[in-house]
Amino acid sequence: MTPLLRVEGLSKRFGGLHAVKNISFALDPGSVTGLLGPNGAGKTTVFNLLTGFLSFDTGSVEFDGRPLAGLPPHRIVNRGLARTFQLARPFQGMTVLENVEVACLAPRVNREGRPRQRARVLLDQVGLGNKADTVVDVLPYGDLRRLEIARALATRPRLLLLDEPFAGLGTSEIQPLADLISVLHQREGLAILIIEHKLRELMRLVRAVIAMDFGEVVAVGEPAMIVRHPRVVEAYIGKAELGQGDTDIARDPLGAA
Amino acid sequence: MRGSSVDWLAAFLAAVALAAVPWLFANNYIVGVMTVALCFGIWAASWDFMSGLTGRENFGHSLFIGVGAYTAGFLNVNYGLSPWWSLVAAPGTAVLFSLIMGFPTLRLKGPYFALAMLSGAAVMQNLTIIFSVYTGGQDGLNGLDPILDSPLAYYYLTLLLMLAAVVILKLLANSSWGTILRAIRGDEASCQAAGINVTFYKIAALMISAAFAGLGGALYAHYQLQVGPDLFAIVLSINIIVMVYVGGLGSIYGPVGGAILLNVLTESLRAVSEYRLWVYTLILIFILFFMPQGLIAPLWRRVRGLLQ
Repeated sequence: MTPLLRVEGLSKRFGGLHAVKNISFALDPGSVTGLLGPNGAGKTTVFNLLTGFLSFDTGSVEFDGRPLAGLPPHRIVNRGLARTFQLARPFQGMTVLENVEVACLAPRVNREGRPRQRARVLLDQVGLGNKADTVVDVLPYGDLRRLEIARALATRPRLLLLDEPFAGLGTSEIQPLADLISVLHQREGLAILIIEHKLRELMRLVRAVIAMDFGEVVAVGEPAMIVRHPRVVEAYIGKAELGQGDTDIARDPLGAA
Repeated sequence: MRGSSVDWLAAFLAAVALAAVPWLFANNYIVGVMTVALCFGIWAASWDFMSGLTGRENFGHSLFIGVGAYTAGFLNVNYGLSPWWSLVAAPGTAVLFSLIMGFPTLRLKGPYFALAMLSGAAVMQNLTIIFSVYTGGQDGLNGLDPILDSPLAYYYLTLLLMLAAVVILKLLANSSWGTILRAIRGDEASCQAAGINVTFYKIAALMISAAFAGLGGALYAHYQLQVGPDLFAIVLSINIIVMVYVGGLGSIYGPVGGAILLNVLTESLRAVSEYRLWVYTLILIFILFFMPQGLIAPLWRRVRGLLQ
C-alpha cells in the first residue's frame, strides 16, 4: 500500500531551539496512529508543520503522492488534510451551526449540497444536533471539542490530525468522544493521527504509536511495545536508577496494561 | 410574521420615511443636511461591511472617500467629463487603492492594516497639497457640476444610491460571504483550518467597502461642488467609526441610522453655538457608555422580538 502521508527528514528550528529534528514516518490510508511524547517533545510543532501553519526548514512532506511544501494552511485542508487545535478555537459570537457551516464553504466541499444542511448532518453525527442554534461562547468545553471535530470533518478530510482531543475533559466525557473517533474511522475510512496524554484511552484507539522526545522520533511500533520501550520510559519517568522496589513501575510504567 | 419579512417591511418603512423628509420639511437647508447625512450613511455602511464584519479596523476610510471625490473632481473639472461618469470612475479608483493598501497589509496579522490605512490617508492628504498644480492645494478643486441641478432631485438620487448600497451590502453580509467574514473576526487560524482563504476574503471585503466609499465620495463632491484635502482627514474616518459604533457594529443598517442621527444632532446643536462640541461629546459618551452595543441595531432587534 502506498502511504497517504510520507514525512521524510522533517526539521524545524526556532532560533537556537531545534524543535523538530530530522523526523521521518509514514501513515497508511485508514490507519489510526498515536503521536506520543512528553510536553515540549515537538508534537504540536509537527502538526503545525504538516498543516502549513509553520514552514519547515528541511525535509519533505508528501500527502496523497503530492508535496505539501510551501502551501498555505487553507490549500492543505482543501487537499484533504484537516486538523483540530489543542485549545478549542471556535468562531466566537457565532452559533454552533454557523461554526460548522464555515468549513462546509471550503472549496473542497462547497458543491456537496447546501452548506447549512450538511452542517446540520455533521452536528447530528458528533452529537451536537440539539445545540445547533446555541452561540458558541456559552458552550461547555466537551461540546467545543466535538465542535472542533465536526468542523474538521466538514472539509471531508482523508487524514485528520487531532491535537489532544481529550484534554480538559472529565472521564464521563472522554468515552463518548473516543467512541465517536473510532466510529468515524470505521465508517468513513478516515486516517487519524492523534496527540494525546491520556494513554489508556489513546492505546485503545490506535494501532501504531510514534513516540517523540526532544524533537526526535525515539520509537515507532505497536502500543504495547511502545509503552515498554526504554526511550519512552526514560522520557516519561526518567533514567532508570531503579531500586528493587520500583520494578512495578518499570514493568508497567504508564499503567497502560 | 417571518423574520425576514419583518426586516424587509421595516426597511421599506425607513426608506419611505427618508423619502418623505423633503415633504415633511419643505426646506432646502434640511434637504441639504439630509443629503450629506445620506453620504455619511453610505460611508458608515461600507466601513461596517469590511471592519464591522471581519474585525479588522480601518482607520483610514477617508482615503477611499477622498480618492473617490478627487476622481470626480479631476474628471469633471480638469477633463470636463459629464458628472455621471464620476459615479462609475470614483468606485473604480477607490477599488484600485484598496488593492494597493490591502495586498501588502491584509496578509499580515496584527495592527499593520489599521496603521497602513491611517497613514495612507494622511499621505494622500499631504500629496494633494504637494501636487497643488493638479489638485488646487489647500483650496482643492472648485466648480464641479452637480449631477442633478435641483437639490430635491439630488437628494433622491443620493437616497436611491444609499438604499442600493445598503441592500447590496446587507444581502452580502447575510450570505455565506458574510458568514465567512464573521468567522474571520472570530478566529483567523480556525478559518484557515476550515479551508478558507482568509486573505482573499479580507481583500475582497475591502474592495467592496472601498467601492461604496468612493461612490459616496463622488456623490458628496458633486453635491458640495468642491473637493479639498479635508476629505482625506483622519477626523473624517474617526467620525465614521463613531457613527458605526453608535448605530451598532456589524449590522450594516445600524451605522446608516447612526450616521443620520449624528449628522442631524450636529446640525441641531448649532443653536447652542459655543457649547456645541461639549453637548455633542457628552451625548456620545452617554450613548457609548450605556449602550456599548450601539443604539439603532439593538433597538431594532428588541422591537423585532416583540413583533414576532
